[in-house]
Amino acid sequence: MLISLKDLKREANFLLRQKRIFVLLLITLILTSFALYTGIIEANKQQQSITRLLQADAQEQEIVFNSKNDYGSIAYYNFHLTYLPPSQLAFAAMGNRDTHPWKHRIRMLALEGQIYESDIGHPELAATGHFDFAFVLSVLLPLILILLLHDLFANERAAGRYDLLTVTASSPLKIWVTRALVLTLSLFLTFILPFVVAAVFNQVAISQIILVGLICLAQIIVWAAICFGLAKTNAPAPRLASILLSIWLITAFVIPVVGDAVIEQQITSPNGGDILMVQREAVNDAWDLPPQTTFDAFTQTHPEWKNHTSMNKMFEWKWYYAFQQVGDQQAAELTKAYTEAAKLKYQAANWLSVLSPSIAVQRAMTRIANTDAIASANYQQQVRDFHAELRSFYYPLIFNQVEFDQQQLALLPQFSANSHK
Amino acid sequence: MSTLLIIAHDEWRYWRRSKLALVTIIISIVMALTSVVLTTISVADENHQRAHLQQQAEQTFVEQPDRHPHRMVHYGHYLFRNSTPLSTIDPGIDSYTGKAIFLEGHRQNSATFSNQQHSSQLTEFGPLSPAFVLQTIAPLLLILIGYSAISRETEAGTLSFLLAQGLSYWQLLLGKVAALFSVNLLVLSPFILGCLLAASHGESSAIIVTFILSYLVYLLVWTLFIVAISALTNSNNSSFAMLICCWLFACLLLPRIAANTTQYLVEQPSKIENDFAVKAKLRELGDGHNSADPAFLQLKANLLAQYQVEKVEDLPVNFRGIVAKNSEAELTKILNTFAKEQMQRELKQSTTNQLFAWLTPALAIRGLSMQLAGTDISSYHKFLREAEQVRYEFVQSLNKAHAEQLNYQTDINRYQDSQALQNARVSANNWQILNNFEFKPFNAEQRLTQSKLALMQLTFWLIILAVFLGLVGRKSQC
Repeated sequence: MLISLKDLKREANFLLRQKRIFVLLLITLILTSFALYTGIIEANKQQQSITRLLQADAQEQEIVFNSKNDYGSIAYYNFHLTYLPPSQLAFAAMGNRDTHPWKHRIRMLALEGQIYESDIGHPELAATGHFDFAFVLSVLLPLILILLLHDLFANERAAGRYDLLTVTASSPLKIWVTRALVLTLSLFLTFILPFVVAAVFNQVAISQIILVGLICLAQIIVWAAICFGLAKTNAPAPRLASILLSIWLITAFVIPVVGDAVIEQQITSPNGGDILMVQREAVNDAWDLPPQTTFDAFTQTHPEWKNHTSMNKMFEWKWYYAFQQVGDQQAAELTKAYTEAAKLKYQAANWLSVLSPSIAVQRAMTRIANTDAIASANYQQQVRDFHAELRSFYYPLIFNQVEFDQQQLALLPQFSANSHK
Repeated sequence: MSTLLIIAHDEWRYWRRSKLALVTIIISIVMALTSVVLTTISVADENHQRAHLQQQAEQTFVEQPDRHPHRMVHYGHYLFRNSTPLSTIDPGIDSYTGKAIFLEGHRQNSATFSNQQHSSQLTEFGPLSPAFVLQTIAPLLLILIGYSAISRETEAGTLSFLLAQGLSYWQLLLGKVAALFSVNLLVLSPFILGCLLAASHGESSAIIVTFILSYLVYLLVWTLFIVAISALTNSNNSSFAMLICCWLFACLLLPRIAANTTQYLVEQPSKIENDFAVKAKLRELGDGHNSADPAFLQLKANLLAQYQVEKVEDLPVNFRGIVAKNSEAELTKILNTFAKEQMQRELKQSTTNQLFAWLTPALAIRGLSMQLAGTDISSYHKFLREAEQVRYEFVQSLNKAHAEQLNYQTDINRYQDSQALQNARVSANNWQILNNFEFKPFNAEQRLTQSKLALMQLTFWLIILAVFLGLVGRKSQC
């Protein structure tokens, strides 16, 4: 069975001249363009916000450098901006950029007390969710496809043309396959063409554009197959569509929601509040403990400072930062369990997305765009690494009691969003 | 009246015969019931945990030993937000905002640990909350059940037959509405049970009644719409397609389109950007840790004059404590101004978003439901304001102890040796300053006032749909 170009052209002419199909495709085009356009604006806003923050951060740092003249105070007063910039593709899949923090200002104090601060968008809007290209592909696409394909046979049947068409066509299946092909192809183009324009405009890598194209194609094939498979039954069009919609409803809402409830039940995690409490108790108790107790715990992880722990005064910065470090150490196990649990939950959910094409598409899109939970976890790790860099920069200066020198500050580690991958 | 009942009864008979309709009705009830049960359990569980953490936080605070009062200012305190009774039906933004907030001197922290950040993130397209099931899923299921209510009769030619028998078109329409409405009541029943449970947890009955009525009106709006469209179209097919398209727009697309548009229209600088502005403003105030800061010269002069002494050492109060107290007060003023501006901008985003409810009833019920349940942004702001109140009060009572109970000389010489450090303390009795914190939403009257716009919008939809059905009925009569 070979489908010639002529067949395709004929069917395209026939289908697109139907007002209903044309309007549906036009609306799809408009919605897709809207999603892309607002996505680009949002991504730009985030980029601009980072630029402004970097500027303000540099000014702030300048002021601290000029007003303090010892390393301990500078480490105390100087904040550092860390951030996860929106990727080139973020406009198409905003993912969790309005529920998870992508910017933090941190300083040399115990990190556990700082890293959970979250500066996120308006919660009511975040709860509604974004209307981005990922949403268009994962939720809108199947619905449009169902609306387009469910009456492929049923309409002709109802109009009494079904038998005529089947008998007169050279191959009975050919005409339906051609028709379905034209419909899905035009739908594919309606989705992908505006995306390609937006992606090229945003300088997205070709490989990523192709990947997104494949995701779109896969989603269309899956739903077209479901529609096509069911469309052959003798049921009237609305009944067929009801069944298709139920399948969509179950895969897009019911399975994920039930899965989420099961995962929440199965994977236990320490309470976030406990991490903060443990860290705070550790840091605060240290004030009342003999400094040597703190230094003992500290030098277990930092043996190189074993011989630098004697105190000449009642307060010294090295002691202060040592107990900040010990506070982090005491919370470390809880933190690890907490982040592990989040990771496990997300991974378990990945398995479940096999049953839900909509979730699978959403996850694939946010993975490529680096806006998913993995991206957030990686960013948090970057912040941890950077904080560790700060410590290894300041510890020698503070423990060796190096004479203060403004020049040294030029060597202060700077967070760079790109050097970490 | 009895004719209506006969028609409604007949519709039920049709549903019982058509497996699909029956299955759909059962699915709706199961979904509503499951969502109510699961959400109720998880909210109860969370509340239990939070109450425990709150009690633990208060206990550790008051059990701290004698120490320098400023140490306690930095030791700080934690508040945990508990859920409102109706959040079992509509958790609103609860899982998107943090649950815990750390209160300390000199800073207003944001709430940390939102559930959303620590979840499987499977509920991207909608959570398992009764509110979501009723607002988004229920209309779809109603469409699946009711799209053919009239169009079926038209298509099969039974409509003219019925009318010829003397049945008025109006009776037919209303009979079908009654049948679908009884389905609404069935779907709503688990939800009403959930509401009654909330009432037993202390929710006001005015709120509960408005809440249930709002959802009833919302589903009635859809019912009227479904019957009207079914009457307006000539075939089951086009009735179905039309209804599904409308549902798609009203429930799935417009709310998200509204959110995108609001974000585009109303600028909201991030909290960190706000922090920079606060910092700049604060720099003018001086560092409250350093009583030698030139910013406090005026304060010093005033104080010396007031007590008619020459040196700060001779003051009957500890000058460092006074400085701490004054600078905390000044600083809080600034922090509050900025926090207020931030909240106003957030409220502006909310009201802008709420305007889109004139385009879809789904947003009207969404806003209304959150506002009534006390799980909307303004309720969260209330929590933040109360947390700030708690913060300011405990910090200032500690500063008062600093000023009144700790000698200035002892204070400034505290780092001389370990004995001096021992002396620079106040009694742990001063830590008995926390009251049991429990977050309460706005009272019923306030919440009803806040939801005026959304109530109006929902009423608007009811009127529009009633008029629409009326027009459909009249048109078909002539």
